[in-house]
Amino acid sequence: MSSDQDHLKETDTEARFEFKKEESSAFKSEKGLTEETIRVISEDKDEPEWMLERRLRALKQFQQMPMPTDWPGAPDLSEIDFDEIVPYIRPDIETRGGAESWEDLPEEIQDTFDKLGIPEAEKNALSGVGAQYESEIVYQNMQERWEDKGVIFCDMDKAVQEHEEIVKEHFMTKCVPPSDNKFAALHGAVWSGGSFVYVPEDTTVEMPVQAYFRMNSEGMGQFEHTLIIAEDNSEVHYIEGCSAPKYSAFNLHSGGVEVFVGENAHVQYSTVQNWSKNTYNLNTKRAICDADGTMEWVSGSMGSKATMLYPSTILKGPGATDNHITIAFAGEGQNIDTGAKVYHNAPNTKSTIESKSISKDGGRTNYRGLVHMSDGAENSSTSVECDALMFDNESTSDTMPYMEIQENKVDVAHEATVGKIGDEDVFYLETRGLDDDDAKQMIVAGFIEPITEELPIEYAVELNRLIELEMEGSLG
Amino acid sequence: MSTQVQANLTEEQVTEISEQLDEPEWLLETRLDALDALGELDMPAVIQTPGREWTNLDALDYERFVDPLEMAQEKDRVDAEGVDVLSWSDALDQHGDLIEEQFGSVVDPQRDYLTALSTALFSAGTVVYVPEGVDAEDVKIRTRMNSRALFNYTLVIAEESSSVTILERQETGDDAEGERYYSGVVEAVAGENATVQYGALQNLDEETYNFQVKRGHTGQYGQVNWIEGNIGSRLTKTSVETRLLGDSSESKIVGAFFGHEDQHFDLASRVWHEAEHTTADLITRGVLDDHARSVYEGVQDVGREAWDTNSYQRENTLMLSDESEADASPKLIINNHDTEASHSATVGQVDEQDMFYMTSRAIPAQVAENMLVEGFFEPVLSEVAVDEFREDLAGLIAKRLRE
Repeated sequence: MSSDQDHLKETDTEARFEFKKEESSAFKSEKGLTEETIRVISEDKDEPEWMLERRLRALKQFQQMPMPTDWPGAPDLSEIDFDEIVPYIRPDIETRGGAESWEDLPEEIQDTFDKLGIPEAEKNALSGVGAQYESEIVYQNMQERWEDKGVIFCDMDKAVQEHEEIVKEHFMTKCVPPSDNKFAALHGAVWSGGSFVYVPEDTTVEMPVQAYFRMNSEGMGQFEHTLIIAEDNSEVHYIEGCSAPKYSAFNLHSGGVEVFVGENAHVQYSTVQNWSKNTYNLNTKRAICDADGTMEWVSGSMGSKATMLYPSTILKGPGATDNHITIAFAGEGQNIDTGAKVYHNAPNTKSTIESKSISKDGGRTNYRGLVHMSDGAENSSTSVECDALMFDNESTSDTMPYMEIQENKVDVAHEATVGKIGDEDVFYLETRGLDDDDAKQMIVAGFIEPITEELPIEYAVELNRLIELEMEGSLG
Repeated sequence: MSTQVQANLTEEQVTEISEQLDEPEWLLETRLDALDALGELDMPAVIQTPGREWTNLDALDYERFVDPLEMAQEKDRVDAEGVDVLSWSDALDQHGDLIEEQFGSVVDPQRDYLTALSTALFSAGTVVYVPEGVDAEDVKIRTRMNSRALFNYTLVIAEESSSVTILERQETGDDAEGERYYSGVVEAVAGENATVQYGALQNLDEETYNFQVKRGHTGQYGQVNWIEGNIGSRLTKTSVETRLLGDSSESKIVGAFFGHEDQHFDLASRVWHEAEHTTADLITRGVLDDHARSVYEGVQDVGREAWDTNSYQRENTLMLSDESEADASPKLIINNHDTEASHSATVGQVDEQDMFYMTSRAIPAQVAENMLVEGFFEPVLSEVAVDEFREDLAGLIAKRLRE
């Protein structure tokens, strides 16, 4: 693990994220969203008829649904022009559905992911890794010992072909239906790539499974779908990382994540998101948790021009648990609108939400959350804690929690605080010989520690390094 | 729906109300403009989450209630030394220029449909004028509603270095029958170094629909403090607000509610920090029994130039029945980092251990629960600086307890 850490420390993080490749692709769909485009995508993927039908139905829903623009303080989405988005790009590789060995990949893709540290991470700490470049998974590997136990980790397109029945039952049916919101509908119409993870009963995958998503082309939309099914008494940790270089035109990322947590199963979903600052990141993520199951969401939202993302969990079975730990960092020109939603639909369910945000140089962070206690969710409890740290008066930080309580035998607590970096804390550190920048950075590192300690080391290092980069040049 | 009401209201009716109060031309114009605007105005905003509107204001069937020329009420006004506590016609007569200057400066007469309706139709109400340097302890206003609709408009002007405590009681007359509509607008202006303390105890009968907006502006070192007790009404939609406009000004909003049967309370506390060194403290506690429902929104908005802000909010709801529902949304909107702000909200039931402790000491369960409910209101009651108000509120709470 230490070599991995060293690798990440030594690599110049900025160079790792900001380089871009010349565009070359085997297939690129027309701009805009028409029935024709969707038929072409589906045909190119050789999909079964039912999937095409679902796509077309989602497109109709997308066309009828309004943009989420009337929310107080919500990001400005007026720049998004659906006619200018290229919804689908298949990278230029021979192997469909992912190369089997790293060496089979075209050199430029190898090079890209090398800079991101993907093979290193795989070698050292992971059960399996997938990498998505533009619209498709280009590399996929799973350690044999997990495969032997019946664990499936493959890209979503392949899952449609090879695990059709499971996918047909779970794909955007119960968890994230396209009718959920406009961008879920969009996703349902043009989705491509993403991960499929299936963990059979009584199986524990001890090391995290990782997928990395990268957008490289200008004006592109990325719509990967992640479907995780953890059967009863199983356990898995899935990590996702994403990045895209900066272009002058906007990019749109509208992913969909569906997680099914079986009885007494445990799923952790971690993500560090560092989309470039012209990307609109409008995702829908949801988990359904059966009796005594546990769902954990850990996320760091660093990049993007605007993010609207509220991972949600439906606690469906008695005794189910949900934990959210999130951190958002908004710098100049960024609006990170994120939060968590929990529906307590059964007795003895429990949830905790811990949300931290940092805003500086005119950045805007919002916490928008919903806790719903249904009638019958007796002896359930929830605790929500939001902390916001602000650097200057150009920045904005809003906390907008919603609590809907229909059951009296519950315990609901929400707490939020906002403050600036403490002058006294900075002074204290300075008197110990730190300069102003280091002192502030140390305070921020301490502020986000509850998040980083939940992440595997290489992601924790990356998150810390990203925050350092964001803070550089802005202090002192 | 709004078009229906307009169809019933005419310029002639509004003009007649204005003439009865012997009003100047400018006020009639303001009323007619508000009447005119009804067609374009929306209902007051209510909180919405996906698939759900927390309060349904369309439940009010205005057409049946509103008869603009039929407004009956009893009004008691007790004034204190040095303060003018006046009916609108007397006030316009004595302080015409001052009222023209202040009317509508705090609450936009066309803020929403229901406010505009109030502006066009109000005939009841009071003007409280506190001259410079006067300290007045006990101004009391009792409004007893005897008609199907009542539009009440209160204007409080506290000049530099003055202070006033106003206690308002809102009730329904004994001979009242059927559903009714009460609408109240309160504007309060606290000048430099002036303090306005305004307590309102709403105990309308439980067939009355109730809409209220109370809003204050503070000058430098000024204070506007609100105390809100909501016990009665079928449906209440109310917002209590302060804009802290002067440096070092303060506001405290204390609220208590107790809903039972099928009462619905939609309560908001809002404060805007728009100057330096301002402080706000928002405290609300409420109890719900039977099928009652509460919707709470608390807003602390810190402006870009509001350096050195302190802002706190606490909201706690106690649910006694499984059929009740409590919705809450305490919002922090922060645009200046030189801020210390926090909010917290909780919803829960009577603590089991407390109950066990008391019942094991031979206190019957219902008596124990009642004691705990009364105890729950204690932190709010202790914030009520007016003795008489505190005793009245505690009395109404005690009446509401289960036997």
